[in-house]
Amino acid sequence: MSSVELDQVTIRFGDFVAVDNCNLTIESGEFFSFLGPSGWGKTTILRAVSGFNEPTEGSVRIGGKDMRGIGPNKRPTALIFQNLALFPLMSVADNIAFGLEVAGVPYVERRRRAEELLNLIALPGQGDKMCSELSGGQRQRVAIARALAVEPQVLLLDEPLSALDLKLRQRMRTELRAIQQRVGITFIYITHDQGEALTMSDRIAVMSAGIVQQVGNGSEIYNNPATSFVASFVGENNAFKGKVSRAEDGYAVIDTTFGPLRGVNNRGLKEGDDAYLFIRPEVLRPAGAKDSGADTTFETEALKEEFEGSFLHVFLKSENPEKPYKMAIVNDANVTRQAKGSTVKVAFDPERAVALPDGELADE
Amino acid sequence: MSSNQLRKWVVRGYIILFFLYLFGPLIIMSASAVNTSSYPTITPWEGTTVKWFGELAANDRLVNGFINSLWVGIGVVMLSVPTALAGAIMLMQVPEKVRPIYYTIVVSPVLVPGVIIGISTVIFWERFGSIIGLDYETTNNPFFLTIVGQSTFISAYCMLVFMARLQRFDKTQEEAALDLGATHVQVFWKVLIPFLRPAILSSIVLAFLTSFENYNTTVFTMVARGTLTTELAGLARFGVNPSISALAVVIMGFTLIGAVIYEIKKRREEAIIDASKKRASMKRMKETEASAAQAAAAA
Repeated sequence: MSSVELDQVTIRFGDFVAVDNCNLTIESGEFFSFLGPSGWGKTTILRAVSGFNEPTEGSVRIGGKDMRGIGPNKRPTALIFQNLALFPLMSVADNIAFGLEVAGVPYVERRRRAEELLNLIALPGQGDKMCSELSGGQRQRVAIARALAVEPQVLLLDEPLSALDLKLRQRMRTELRAIQQRVGITFIYITHDQGEALTMSDRIAVMSAGIVQQVGNGSEIYNNPATSFVASFVGENNAFKGKVSRAEDGYAVIDTTFGPLRGVNNRGLKEGDDAYLFIRPEVLRPAGAKDSGADTTFETEALKEEFEGSFLHVFLKSENPEKPYKMAIVNDANVTRQAKGSTVKVAFDPERAVALPDGELADE
Repeated sequence: MSSNQLRKWVVRGYIILFFLYLFGPLIIMSASAVNTSSYPTITPWEGTTVKWFGELAANDRLVNGFINSLWVGIGVVMLSVPTALAGAIMLMQVPEKVRPIYYTIVVSPVLVPGVIIGISTVIFWERFGSIIGLDYETTNNPFFLTIVGQSTFISAYCMLVFMARLQRFDKTQEEAALDLGATHVQVFWKVLIPFLRPAILSSIVLAFLTSFENYNTTVFTMVARGTLTTELAGLARFGVNPSISALAVVIMGFTLIGAVIYEIKKRREEAIIDASKKRASMKRMKETEASAAQAAAAA
């Protein structure tokens, strides 16, 4: 069992900085995800851990050992490729046993091991089939078995579920997590799908533009985002732009076009700073009689409604006509519907609103 | 006659003409092989005979030429297929900027006239051999010169075959194998070569046939000896007899047998693949049905 340490890792391709000064320690036995939009550094990090890229600066350590100069075939890692990269000319069992074959394990022994792994992935007795005869989910599992066969200390997964349809993807999530807990090795998982990251991971690193924005478990990242990017990328969020007019007692009041609004200030915002206030749709609610605070309520126009069963989504007019604000009201049977075009007064708990320094937003 | 019918007859006529153009000469030649006439012709038909086949077998120059052609062909296959494979793999490895230049250089022998390749091979090895101290017997050996000379352009043909196949190679296969602990040599033998197998087979056939029928280069590099092709050309200069037609019949026979065997093999493989695909899709259908039934039961 080994931990993976990324120590000031920077990876450049020419002028392009794919990964910028990444510092992380992934504990042994952990299910760790890199979450971020496509095209920014996630796969590059994975390839640096597996040995297909060397970091331009900094070092990758696995189990405390510096991996520089050690090729992918000598590292205690196994990578599951986005396209799986199963060998099409080999049977399922030969695919699974490939790592053992090249290590010189005799035929009978590796065949036995392949059969064990087929049981683990719930495909017993299917070793003689060709991969083309399997369904998408089955091939997925064969790729996992093939990687596990070499008994890696770290399993790296590069968006392995992206090619599957929604239903299968949800089933494979549960299955992946179960396999990880059964074998107990470190999983490093790459995805742009926050649902995958949130449901499976012990911890998540949110990445944007080659920079690790925040590391934490799912609820930390969702409830207490560290940057405006994380706040707008993970889950749905309403962003109110403005200047800090007051900062005291761990709260900041931000002057927005909807008046002064108050939120938690964990990032040391000072008076006069450009800032965003983020309020999640489920935190907003129609103001009641006792909601009177000037900086915890605002008024705007209701644009339209979408009824989704458990929630009623109300779209509210924002500064940006392309991105109206969203309010999610729990359907408790006597939910009041808002007339289209009417002015609504909206309230929120300031301890669940997050004030963050001005920065990049994730575009959807 | 309606214009529709007219069109139909025109098309039929054209098809008949087309096939006559393709196969007419072959049919006439085959027929002339069994005509008694001492010149290959079918008019007048003087009588049916198989003596020209006997004469063919008794013609030492042709028989020796045929044997020489076989040896040269085998030599060319052994030299140009590995060279071509190496060249094609190299193309995948060189930096993108250099690739067009590299490609032009390695493919250029295809564009050089065979005569020039032939002459230059002979001259080059004579001089080069004496510089590096090879004896005259080696550098003037007709088999050595012919195999080397033909391979200069045949390896380029084979390389085109390999390049086409390699373009479809999924690089992640190589990476997956490396990641699972394979050495680069193991990746080559266990992943790349199996993938290239069809290209290897077709380039072997291509190299052998191209070598077998080559004249332009071979006529210089075989020096005093001859292959079947050069011997035939020599024979034609002094007037021909129907044993040449007999030879053509023999060659066509072999080609036909080869093509039929290849076709049968291919169809059998396709049938196996189809069957396995059908099995897979049936299974998938069953699975979806089962899961639908489960869902229905759960509901």
